[in-house]
Order: sequence, then structure tokens, then C-alpha cells
Amino acid sequence: MEHSENVLIIGSGVAGMEASLMLSKAGKKVTLVEKLSLIGGKTIKNEETYPNMDCSTCLVAPIQQEILQDGNITVLTSSQVTAVSGDAGDFSVKINKKAGYVDLVACLGCGMCYPVCPVEQINEWEENLINMKAIYVPCAGALPNVPVIDADKCLHLNGTDKECNKCVEACMFGAINLVGEDEQLDIDVGAILIATGYDMMDISILTDLGYGKYPGVYTAMEFERLFAANGPTEGNLVMRDGKTVPSSVAIIHCVGRSESHYCSSVCCMASSKHAHFLRHKLKDAKIYNIYSDICLPDKTYQKFYEDVKAHSSQFIYQSDRDKMKITEKNGKLKIEYLDSKEKSAFLDVDMVILANALKPAIGSDELGKVLGINHDKFGFVEAQPFNIGTVVTSKSGVFVAGCAEGPKDIQSSIIQSEAAVAEIMSLLNS
Amino acid sequence: MSDKIGIYVCECGPNIASKVDIDKIMEEISNLEDFKDVELVVRNHKLLCSVEGKKFLENEINENNLTHLVCAACSPRDHDTTFINVCKKTELNPYMYQIVNIREQCAWIIPDKEEATEKAIRIIHAGMDRVLYQQPLEEKQLDSNPDVLIIGGGIAGMEAALKLASRDRLIYLIEKTDELGGKSAKLNQLLPRQGVNLNILHQKLSNIKSNKYIKVFTNTELASIVGFLGNFEIVIKDVKDPENTTELLAGAVIVATGYELLDATTLDKYEISEEDEVYNALEIEEMISKNGKIVMKNGKEPQKVAVIHCVGRSEVGYCSQTCCSYLLKISKMLKEQSSKIEVVELFKHLCLPNKQDEAFFEQVKDKDVEFIRIKDVNVTGTSIELTDISDAKQKLDVDMIILGTAMIPAKETKYLAEELKVELDEMGFYQEAHLKINPISTNTDGVFVVGGAHGPTGISESMLQAQAAAGKIFTQLIPGQKIIPEVKVSEILEAYCTGCKTCLDVCGFGAIYFDEDKGISVVNEAICRGCGNCVGSCPSGSIRTRHFTNPQLYQEVKEALR
Repeated sequence: MEHSENVLIIGSGVAGMEASLMLSKAGKKVTLVEKLSLIGGKTIKNEETYPNMDCSTCLVAPIQQEILQDGNITVLTSSQVTAVSGDAGDFSVKINKKAGYVDLVACLGCGMCYPVCPVEQINEWEENLINMKAIYVPCAGALPNVPVIDADKCLHLNGTDKECNKCVEACMFGAINLVGEDEQLDIDVGAILIATGYDMMDISILTDLGYGKYPGVYTAMEFERLFAANGPTEGNLVMRDGKTVPSSVAIIHCVGRSESHYCSSVCCMASSKHAHFLRHKLKDAKIYNIYSDICLPDKTYQKFYEDVKAHSSQFIYQSDRDKMKITEKNGKLKIEYLDSKEKSAFLDVDMVILANALKPAIGSDELGKVLGINHDKFGFVEAQPFNIGTVVTSKSGVFVAGCAEGPKDIQSSIIQSEAAVAEIMSLLNS
Repeated sequence: MSDKIGIYVCECGPNIASKVDIDKIMEEISNLEDFKDVELVVRNHKLLCSVEGKKFLENEINENNLTHLVCAACSPRDHDTTFINVCKKTELNPYMYQIVNIREQCAWIIPDKEEATEKAIRIIHAGMDRVLYQQPLEEKQLDSNPDVLIIGGGIAGMEAALKLASRDRLIYLIEKTDELGGKSAKLNQLLPRQGVNLNILHQKLSNIKSNKYIKVFTNTELASIVGFLGNFEIVIKDVKDPENTTELLAGAVIVATGYELLDATTLDKYEISEEDEVYNALEIEEMISKNGKIVMKNGKEPQKVAVIHCVGRSEVGYCSQTCCSYLLKISKMLKEQSSKIEVVELFKHLCLPNKQDEAFFEQVKDKDVEFIRIKDVNVTGTSIELTDISDAKQKLDVDMIILGTAMIPAKETKYLAEELKVELDEMGFYQEAHLKINPISTNTDGVFVVGGAHGPTGISESMLQAQAAAGKIFTQLIPGQKIIPEVKVSEILEAYCTGCKTCLDVCGFGAIYFDEDKGISVVNEAICRGCGNCVGSCPSGSIRTRHFTNPQLYQEVKEALR
């Protein structure tokens, strides 16, 4: 093996982090590439994880810290793999690291640079629920705790106001330098792990459900951030106007399942968790979960679901998930659905949470082409043979773990990641 | 050599410096009444964790010949390791250092600067009191054995064996029955929905047979096991001749003992007996293997078959995950055997969590299988009374019933758990170290649980779990590499131990054993994690955890609470 000590891991969610730490312990040199400015993946967007309601940050932050301090792991944030050539054992990889304009070593994350920035822009990481500055970390507690500058929005960098140096002046450590270019890195590795995770389905196309049209309709991920203590409302459960507390909420399961042609396997538990959250914060609210099938694929899940059903929410069966229609009248949302007798039924609520399907991460098509691997008909990475009990992709030396292979929960992602480590160790030590 | 304590106050840029009075801290710490006879070096630094800060600290330790070190900085979660690593570059033993958190515990939470400064001084003082009572500790290095014992020769055990076996690593695969293959070997088709047939299983069987680094022991069970990651002493026995034992050494253990199907005759809503045409899925699979098709006891093909999902689910309290898929498979087989057979599936929820499941469901629906969503069902022989989702009641008389019964832990799970010192969860499966982030490991280092023993899993998940265990072993148990056990472990003072054995019960890691000759408890330092449970439980105060001794804690708390 030409480069038997080096491994490239793409994506720094729970799957990518687990594999990085394991390989590092075995003495391998890991390059962990993350397209965002922070590591931790989707898990850190959750306040708590089901079914034991472990605080997500408490679970993940020690792992993130360990990654950042590990001498065998090079973390490249704001980075993307742009080209791969070679074969198993001997890949040459090109990586583009976006200029961040803030020195990772000199910056302490003290936050003095944000308030002085005159630019306001939408914070996509916060599901567009809040604004941020041109120099930003997406959320409190982001790791590495170092801001980046959005060059398109920064007045100095986009040329609107070359005189604006406010952040540079505010920084006591001389960590900000408004001159910078994207870096092109070339590395040689023996194996590659794809752990690029998922994104949520865009449900504005499901026009009957009113997302994007009625402010009371939320996606599951928006609701996660609404509940998060470090989120846009600091965990206060208020609607988009910033003050109204909903007194009735309906959580809709299986949104986009028919269009996706698969069950996303995590939404029933996530939706049960949301009902649990709501009950916890809103003692007297009316809470409903409207479902068509309940999928609880872990030995520990049913107990949690039963508990939510008993204490937090009324579960309502809808006989055809494609026939739901949501309208709004006088600020109240009206849900029309087919009940168990296939008759129209109605429910009036203040807030609707749509549990939308999990999709391959945005950009996985391009990455697949760069890596030369096959995707299945859904756009997830195809594991071979047959997607059964394997993390091997169509290209030798390239492996897959976590939701990049298909929707799954945290533990299933970690198991695949550990399985991929076995494959990588076998390959590199052969 | 007389004591010389270095106290280094980190400003953390403005994070600490703007919220507490650094000068006042320096001044007061330098002039503490109870340290007037101890040599102190008190310095501040803009950022101790920076490259330059670490170099500064290293030089300070060396040039001043410090015997003790206190870093007043941030949370140990952030930089304890950083400063320990600095110590390791010097002559100072890292256990002679203490971190004091004046950022998260003072600067960031106390708005009043004076108050924050007072608390900072107090806890730095407490850290100084503590550090004087600390003792140098040395890491040990133990040889390790890279070989692996795998208990259970089903698909998970075989998969793990094949992944792990190599010139550097011998695998002992023990199986209680007389052949490998487990429950998967009973199946007529593995996973037709993905085009996977039995070849995959046959291939594994023949690969195991031809692999000289895998030693297979059939008709064999575990008799006993003691030890820890890297060094397990194992005794296995012949099932038919328990006196016939063999001793083995291994560094890790994979438990792959599989599952059983719940006995449906024990369920209140199922009045069924052996004579009735009622079968569970494995019995159907065996029937097909034997007869080539699904037939009744009289040899005739059934005309009407009901397939019932979720049998025993509410009794066991979990979804078995695999039944929806395999029942769909059986319905498809019935329809392919003869399209004239009427097949009705009775289900509450369909659980199809794999991305490929839904397409298979559509295929089965297209074969004219009827699906009835039920709320409740009662079965007497082959007569069914059901309440459907719309509360309508219905009676069904069929020729044959096929049950998707819950998967439950294998019988030997409980005995093995005790022997392996692994906890069981409330459902009777092995408990993982952490459900979400450490799902294959257990509380006993070096013992991993995979497949049906871990919880209901299909073939695909079982294989992945087996590979995951292999990944863990590849990275934790490297041939030729030494194992460094935890240093901050408990020790029992022989003279004080009364032999009451209380500590044996509270130890969650099986790290304490009883020395019958001396009549006292003894800690196995290689297994102990230093949790301190035994310390708290010991009525005679004979146990202490290194680096967390009573005098050390007392000194720290005494000042903090003054």
C-alpha cells in the first residue's frame, strides 16, 4: 500500500467523527473534510436525542473537542473535495478550502467581531429563522469556535465599502485578515470514507400542505431549532412573530414519503420527540400526531412512543397520506385529512410541524462524480453487493457510512462507521 | 527537594481578563498566609493554550524546577489534556498538576467583577491546597493478546470471524449446536427483495472452513471467562460432555448468540396448539426447505392463509423490525407457489425502515395479497376474530395462519451476561455501552455484542454490527501493541479490609475479586475504571481511588467552602 497511513473522511457528522477517532487511535493520519465552518453534523442541531433525551451537545461536544485536539486528525472546515484520481491504496485528492479570513490558531472565539459588523444576512444553518452577520459562527457553541467571513456579503470583500475594517479593528488578537484566497490542497490517501449525511426534503413543492405560504407551518428541522437552547429563540416556543405561543399543534408524519418512495425511518421517533418537547413546554396545549404507519426500528423505541402517546399527544390515523390539505383562516390552520373510515375529517390548530423525508445531502451527485461511485435510484450511495450488510461502494477503496447510504438513526450511522473502519483497516494493512 | 508550586493564570484573551481582576488575583495568590513557607511562582499569560503559551509553560516548569503546577484557566473539558501534554514534555509528573476553571465557573457566570475575582482566588487557593497532596502516578504497559473469541456461529459470528482472521490474529469461533449458520441457515431465501440468495451464506461457510486462522468449535459453550481487554482467560466446554474442557487465551470477545422466537402459545389472544395449522416464520422456512413448498400437515396446499404481524409485540414491548419484511416475503412465496392461494396480511403498522423495503412492499401488493389494518386480533385455532382500524369487527376462517412472532433474547443470554460481566437491558438483551454513540461496545472493555443478541436485527444489520465489532477490535487491539490501563484506579488497603464484599456488588465492571486465602477484596487494576463506587460503599474506609483520595478532596473542598 502506497499511502497505508492516510485516510480521507468526507463529512464530520457522528459517522465521520467516529471513524476519524477510531482510525487515529490506530495510528492512521486522517484528513476530515467538512463543507460547513463547524463540525458535528446534523446531531448538534437537536437539543436532545431520542429515546433517552440525552442532551445532544453533551453527547457530541466531547467528541468534537477530541477531534479538534487529536494530533492525527487534520480538520478542514469550509472545504470540499474537488478531484480524486488513483486507486485503492493510492488516491490523489484535491481539496478546496474556502478562505475564512480568520486565523484558526490566533482566534479565541471571543465574539467581539460580530456586533460591529454592519451586514445582516439570513442564517441558513438556523433554518432561516434568524439573521446573522457577514462574520459569523452559525450558532452558540459551534466548534471550532472560530468565525468565518462570507466574502459575498462582507462590504470590504465584495467591494461595497473598501473602508470597512470594523471586525479587524475589534479583534484584539490580530486574527482577522481581509486578504485571503481559497486554498487548494493536494493530499495522498489510501482509503476514502463518504459520510456526507442527509438534507431534508424541500417540501414547498407539496403545495397542499401550505409550507412557505402559511407562517404557522414548520418543518421538523425548523422546530428542532425552535426548541434548541442555543437556537434562534433560545428555546422559547414562539411562532414566527416572535411572541405568539401556540395552544394547539399538529405533527404530520410521513411528509414526502410517497414522493420519495421510501420510509425515512427516523421521523416517527423524531415526531414523538417533538410531541414530548411540546408537552414539556406547553402543559395545556392540544397536541396531535397524524400518522399513517408507525415505524419504531430499535428495541428501545416503542417504550418512548407509548409514553408520548399516554402523556403528550393524541395519535390520529390518516388512511391516505397523499390526501391531506392544509388551509388557513383568520390565522388558524385547518387540516383536512381522511380518517380511518376514509371520510374527510378536520382539525384546527395554531401550528403544524411537517416531518419531511430525509434526502441525500445536497451536492452528493457532484461528489459521486468526483469519486466515481454509483448511487441508487434515490440518490443515496449504493453499497455493494445488494446494499446488504456492507459499506463497500462501487469503487474499490471508497466506503460509505451513515445517512449518505440511506436514512438512519444515530446508532445505525455509528455502526456503519465502525464497520467502514474495519474495511479501511483491512485494506490498508493488507 | 522542597515544594515549589507554579501558579499560571490564563487570561484567555478578554474572556477571563475582562471579567475578573487579574492583578488582584496575582497579588493575593502570591501572598497567601498559609503558603508563606512554600515557594511560589505566580505568573499570568494572555493565552496558555496557544502554541506560544504552551512553550512558555514548558519553559517555566523546567527553569523553575517546579514540583507542583496549578493552571487557572478554562474548563478541563477544553484544555486539561493540553496542559497534561505540556507536563509530559518536562520532568514534572502530570499527576502533580491541577487545572482550576476560572472561566466557565467565574468569568462567564458571575456578572459582578469583584465577586468573580473573589471566587477565582478562592478556587485557585483550593487547587493549590489540593495539588500539595497529589502524588506522582506512573502509567503501566501491559502485553496484549490479539486473538478473538466469538460466541455464536450464526451470520453475525461468521461475518466477524471472516473480517478479523489474519496471520496476526487467530479466531476461536464457538457454536453450541453441531453446525455453523445459525437461524439464517434455516431460511430458504435470505433476502429476495434485494436479490440476495443463500449463496452468500454458503460462501461464508466455505470461507470459514478454508481459513486456517479460524478455529471452529461446534457443540461448544463458554464455561468461564476472566480478564480484561487484551488478556482474557477462557474455558470452553463440550455441550455433550461438560467435563471435556479446553483453555484459551484471547484479547477480545464478540458475543453473537442470536435470538429466539417468542412462543405464541403463551399469549392470551392465541388459543393455539401444536395440532393447529399455525406456524411461525422459521417453521415455514423449514417446511419449504424440506418439502419445497408450503403445505398443511396433510400434505395439501392451503387455500386461504392469514399472515399476522406483531405477534407478542405489546407483551415484549418493542418492535422486532424484521417481521414486516419477512412476512411480505412469505406472502410473495405463497403467491408464487400458487396464485390461487388467498393471502391476507393482518397488521397494525408496517415497519419498513430500509430504503429498499417500500419497493418490495409494492411488488407484494401487486401480487394480489390483501392487507387489513387491524386494531386487535384473537386467534382460536385457525379462526380469527379481528377489529379493523375503523372499528369494524370481522371473522376469518382460514386453512393456515403464519405468525410474525417477536424476537427475544436467546436462552443462554442471562448466564453469559453474568459470566462476561455485561449488563442486560430491561428486555433481556445485552446492554450496550451507550445506545446512541457506542452501540456495539459494552461496559466491559474488550467485550462486544452483535446481531440478535444485541436486539432484534435483520441479516444486513447483523453483518454490519459484526463488521463494526471488527472495526473496534482492529483499532483497540493491535497485534504487538501494549495496552495502557487507567492510572486513576481504586486500591484496597489490606489492613483495613474486613472482607464484607460490599464492594463486589457495586462494581459495574467486575474489577474487584475476593481473595479467599486472605479473606479480603482485591482490585484488578487492569479492569478498574476509577469510578469510585467502591470507595463510597466501603464501610471500613479501606478503599481509595488514586488521584481522588480523601485527603486530596478534603483539602480542595475545605478551602472552597471556607
